[in-house]
Amino acid sequence: MTFRAQGMRAWLVQRLSAVYLAVFLIAVVIWYFSTGEYSYDQWRHLVGHPLVNVALALCFIALLVHAWVGMRDVLVDYVPAMGLRFFILIGIAATLVAMGVWTALLLMSVFSP
Amino acid sequence: MRFRIYRYQPEVDNKPRMQEYVLEEIQPGMMLRDALLKLREQDETLVFRHSCGEGVCGSDAMNINGQNGLACLTPLSNLKEPVEVRPLPGIPVVRDLVVDMSQFFYHYRAVKPYLKVHDPEPEVEFLQSPQQREKLDGLYECILCGCCTTACPSFWWNPDKFRGPAALLQAYRFLADSRDQATTERLEDLEGPYRMFRCHTIMNCVNVCPKGLNPTAAINNIKKLMVKDMI
Repeated sequence: MTFRAQGMRAWLVQRLSAVYLAVFLIAVVIWYFSTGEYSYDQWRHLVGHPLVNVALALCFIALLVHAWVGMRDVLVDYVPAMGLRFFILIGIAATLVAMGVWTALLLMSVFSP
Repeated sequence: MRFRIYRYQPEVDNKPRMQEYVLEEIQPGMMLRDALLKLREQDETLVFRHSCGEGVCGSDAMNINGQNGLACLTPLSNLKEPVEVRPLPGIPVVRDLVVDMSQFFYHYRAVKPYLKVHDPEPEVEFLQSPQQREKLDGLYECILCGCCTTACPSFWWNPDKFRGPAALLQAYRFLADSRDQATTERLEDLEGPYRMFRCHTIMNCVNVCPKGLNPTAAINNIKKLMVKDMI
């Protein structure tokens, strides 16, 4: 079987992103409650660490991809009219891409002085 | 005992209606099918399918108090009054409780529910070890009554494209069979966003199966086979 296969790829991507989100969010919650209060500068310093920055970026990529597959699934189920489905999909894609770009800008902003 | 039964004759009626019936002589151990047969003595125009009366033929699948099941396996003592009996949901009604199963069997045929062998056939029988045979347990018992597929919301939304739990259970029944040699072919046929991947593990199918089978597990096993095949 080839990897371009649509149903399988979407399903696998959704499962893998879910696993990453679950592990990452549990780790974040444990870390949050096991440390003291953070000032703004400390937060900035933490997010500026390359590992934390990449892990956060992966978290948001997983979240956006997971949302895309989920929303696409809902539309395939409930919006049978192809034209309308396509129109809504474009809207969702644009929103998710905008969120992704905004997140990328935020994550990169910690590296500028 | 009081009953409310769905009545509809598309050639004559504008829209379906629910008709009230009362059955006085309820015997202990009576099943819904027995009650329907008695009610048909009262009203000969009531139409429903039935045959073996013991959950083998799968003819008398219907929606009983909101849940799909076989009338012949549903004891009256378990039912709340008035007992609401409707045809299986999501497929066209031919008359009263009789539904058109064409779509259901279209999907069943589409999964090619028979052994496919590419090697020359053996001169005697196909041999199978007890362990290999065991893998078919929980799969071959399906009687194709349609309770699961017509209870599945994914089938309601995409009845023409989603194979449905019954057909997918049969697809896995042949994927799991040691004698079948069409694994890749079968898996490729189930690819794409509709045929199998409309399943969102809602598990209504498992809930209603009168034979206690688990189509959701079968679908998950097909997905595992696909991942294996891909790697």
